[in-house]
Amino acid sequence: MNGNWVNRSEKLSDLGRVLRRNFELWNYREVLLPSIEGYDEALDKGTKFTDGGDFYLVKPDITSQILTKLNPGKSYKLFYISEVLDGKTDGNWQFGAEYIGGDERWMIIEIITAIITGLESLGIRDFFIDIGSRAVWESVTSDLSVEEDVFNALYHRSFDMIDDLPIDDKKKNEIWELFNYRDKTCEYERLNGILEILDDDRLYADFGTVRGMSYYEDLTFEIYSPEVGSPLGGGGEYSFHDEGACGFAFNLDNLVENFPGPEERPREEISLNSSGKLKRAKEQVEAGNAIEVI
Amino acid sequence: MQIALPRGRMLEDALELLRGAIPTLSVKENRELIHSSGEHEILLAKPADVPVYVEEGADVGITGKDVVREKSPDVFIPLSLPFGGCRVSVACLKGEIKPPEEMKGFRVATEYPAITEEYFRSLDVRVDVIVVDGSTELAPRAGIADAIVDVVQTGNTLKANGLEEAATIMNSSALLLVNRIAQKTKFDQVNKLIYSIREVIGNGA
Repeated sequence: MNGNWVNRSEKLSDLGRVLRRNFELWNYREVLLPSIEGYDEALDKGTKFTDGGDFYLVKPDITSQILTKLNPGKSYKLFYISEVLDGKTDGNWQFGAEYIGGDERWMIIEIITAIITGLESLGIRDFFIDIGSRAVWESVTSDLSVEEDVFNALYHRSFDMIDDLPIDDKKKNEIWELFNYRDKTCEYERLNGILEILDDDRLYADFGTVRGMSYYEDLTFEIYSPEVGSPLGGGGEYSFHDEGACGFAFNLDNLVENFPGPEERPREEISLNSSGKLKRAKEQVEAGNAIEVI
Repeated sequence: MQIALPRGRMLEDALELLRGAIPTLSVKENRELIHSSGEHEILLAKPADVPVYVEEGADVGITGKDVVREKSPDVFIPLSLPFGGCRVSVACLKGEIKPPEEMKGFRVATEYPAITEEYFRSLDVRVDVIVVDGSTELAPRAGIADAIVDVVQTGNTLKANGLEEAATIMNSSALLLVNRIAQKTKFDQVNKLIYSIREVIGNGA
């Protein structure tokens, strides 16, 4: 077995352990999900395959997978650790949480605060969270027939796509200003109120932030660190049977690049060469103390 | 900033464009793959690797639309650049040419498996894709493929190898790529570079 793979697995597992503890403290419950689901249009991503004329998905997007299993009208605070496939055979490990059916204003505040405590409990303090708003974009593009093109341009941050839009220059400039808006406060009252309550220097209003999943509604956010070239994670608001919801996922494969690793705990070395030593080892473990059998 | 540039046919044009946008930029003419120039570091990579470098941490990069479409990197693509023009085409041996719709069961050699599979899937034509790493034109002549999908600039290489274009899959030119995190952490620097490049392009680079 490849030693680097074992070390990396251990580090991913440590990440999961610390984040699991953090979200349990916030009263989120862990859910375990099957690797294979019957094909359902409500499921995003995953790798399709067919067997005996039936269609299946391997490791689909977890948020959409969770939503197919919940009863409407209830409140849920859930978290998971799972691998997600890209539609082929490449996957990445995710830690995510979903808050469904809570107070519309406070769900995103709680989720972002739990993300901050989670990152800090991992020893990661050099990060930023940029929050964008779909509602703001919709208010700018609602009178245009090119709303989807604007979102595509935004997703790729493409000047060319904006230049090619069949709209007047004044509107293009308005779109450009929004593209490049990134500050501690903004004119969108709802987002501004949330930033004020969260009161953290690492948070920005950034209308250039968009997320690819189709189920997101107003606020979406992206978590990143100057130390890592790819986003650490992201999430946003969505709805479930008319109930508000908010969720996010960390990309553990990126997060692990930023993770200093757990602190080594002291471990008593015990040689199991007598029943007395075996008893000692058992007592130590039962007392919650780490041992190393030599 | 760390800037990844493609070695080979696009390099001179890419450097000329960058020198227009960053007048202080200088890259020595030697075989080194990393060059420092003031606050910038230039990485010279294979064109197909530039999207990977930018996705994984280089701040910006320049490479062809063909390799960007092949690799589908999670990067920003703010600008098309006015050089590196070429097309990705299907070609067969002269005299054996068929429309792609009639290539069912063909063995197709290519350095672009994703583009090839996507193209034939869109035509609902099942083919066997054979991945090769360069000199794709050899494959039909060696009898290991019935067709190829490859980059075509003038068509001279195809002609010299007894091949003929059956269809164009896409037109390509150079693109400017920006790392998603650099766009946030180096917001002003990256935007300044993009606007300078736009100005250079506007002035007829």
